[in-house]
Amino acid sequence: MVGLVDCNNFYVSCHRSFDPSLEGKPVIVLSNNDGCVVARSNQAKELGITMGKPLFQIEDVIKAHQVKIFSSTYPLYGDMSARVMGILGRFVEEVEIYSIDEAFLNLAGYDRVYPDRVALAQQIRSTVAQWTRIPVSVGIAPTKTLAKVANWYAKRELMHNGVLELTDPSAIQAALEEFAVEELWGVGHRYAGLLKRNGIKTAWQLSQVHDVWIQKHMTVNGLRLAYELRGTPCRQLELEPAKKKSICTAPSFGRLVPDLATIKEALATHVARAAEKLRRQHSTAGVMTVFLHTNRFKDKEKQYYNSRTVELPHPTASTSELLHYAGAALESIYQEGYEFQKVGVILSDFTPENHRQPGLYSGSLDERLVKLSGVMDKLNTRHGRDKVRLAAQGFCPTWQMKQQWLSPCYTTRWKDILVVK
Amino acid sequence: MIAAEDRLSAEDIIKAEIITKLEIPFFSSYVQAGFPSPAENWLEKVCDLNDLCIDTPEATYFVRVISDSMIGDRIDAGDILVVDSSKVPADGKIVVVWLNGDHAVKRIKYAGKMVVLHSSNPKYLPIYVHPEQDDFKILGVVTNVIFKPM
Repeated sequence: MVGLVDCNNFYVSCHRSFDPSLEGKPVIVLSNNDGCVVARSNQAKELGITMGKPLFQIEDVIKAHQVKIFSSTYPLYGDMSARVMGILGRFVEEVEIYSIDEAFLNLAGYDRVYPDRVALAQQIRSTVAQWTRIPVSVGIAPTKTLAKVANWYAKRELMHNGVLELTDPSAIQAALEEFAVEELWGVGHRYAGLLKRNGIKTAWQLSQVHDVWIQKHMTVNGLRLAYELRGTPCRQLELEPAKKKSICTAPSFGRLVPDLATIKEALATHVARAAEKLRRQHSTAGVMTVFLHTNRFKDKEKQYYNSRTVELPHPTASTSELLHYAGAALESIYQEGYEFQKVGVILSDFTPENHRQPGLYSGSLDERLVKLSGVMDKLNTRHGRDKVRLAAQGFCPTWQMKQQWLSPCYTTRWKDILVVK
Repeated sequence: MIAAEDRLSAEDIIKAEIITKLEIPFFSSYVQAGFPSPAENWLEKVCDLNDLCIDTPEATYFVRVISDSMIGDRIDAGDILVVDSSKVPADGKIVVVWLNGDHAVKRIKYAGKMVVLHSSNPKYLPIYVHPEQDDFKILGVVTNVIFKPM
């Protein structure tokens, strides 16, 4: 038996956790750079504000209904997520953190400890609510896919009181018959179209299709999905977070940037950030890609997109070394005369840091650089991001993201903690 | 020659992966050859203020005080409160509450259906709350007060 715990409107709920005056009001959270809507309170959904809507298209609704806006405040979301996941770990041994606001629980073997799974789920809900003030919904079913379906109903239909268990075959059938196939976990745009064209509209219909047809048209992944819908687990809980196979850092500029010097400065910061992530998972990168592009949505402007992939002489996680190659790659693709929106870096071809092999001709990596990066990470963890940095990252960045509606980071910055009278 | 049944096959050799680090106190006394440090058997984790102040990390929040309303309980403006949302706000506890648009620190008393929030400074009157009518929530119980002595 699998449980899926999902936080309701997670980003919005994080803001409400520390500011109850937002309760019952329309609230939205914007993506990086304050571009599009990435989270909505139920009241904002009722106003017809859809996911991914660019801010400038909903300015009228926002004014008319006094919709409260927040820029993405990731330090707050990250910490609140860790709290929720920590609480889940107090109830069951095996928790798969699936995303910032979702986790699967392995409930197998808990029949003696928790004979009533719905009661357990309600207890999880009330504990998370009391400790973090974040509302969650719980779906319980024999497979992860069905747990997702159960959660979908638990969240949307008030009568379930936030928890739905789907174990009885007839209950599962009833739930799947009402469930649109494109809402299923793992059914993307392409498969949704294919299924519709073949008259398969509901999850139940998909579960009844012949295996041969599914495998032919949807590969073995489709087959797994069908089995999961029929109640046979095919997706196991992934308890060890898989190490990332590539790291990409590419936030948009806060404004359009034409000049190489500013772009270089931004790239240096992105490289530093990506290298930090790389070191945190104890990997080194063998390949680096740098890309640069203009704003594709401004179709009247001249467009440019280019990227350059560099094979590094030896795998490295040293910021200064990566910067050296990133700078050269950028110079090779930079073109004058465009208004650029984004520069980014992708690191890939990872090897564990304690596994490095010196390049045949290029010699090995300078150990002092490795140590230097480690020391920088420690100092920055203690004293704040970018307190120690390479001069290439610049001193007064003019390219940074727009974050006009940042909320306090109530739990991660001393100057931002809640105040009381 | 290693006996056949004693041999390790290549797939049994698994590289150790060190994901987390546990810091262990380091004793810097010189150890004379042959005489191990007598302290070695008594290695312990160093005292951590978190152990003293925080029972439930997932439910603990820090809050800054900006008024003198609880001065009688040695809570003054500028102090930082350690607030635990998992604790039961029992009668007589000092709690952080949300009331009609503001957060406040008060001593809570229950009187029938009413909640009474007491300050410990005569300048401030007790506040009577109707939990069903007022916009009222309890954030948590104050477990520690942090302040720097003058």
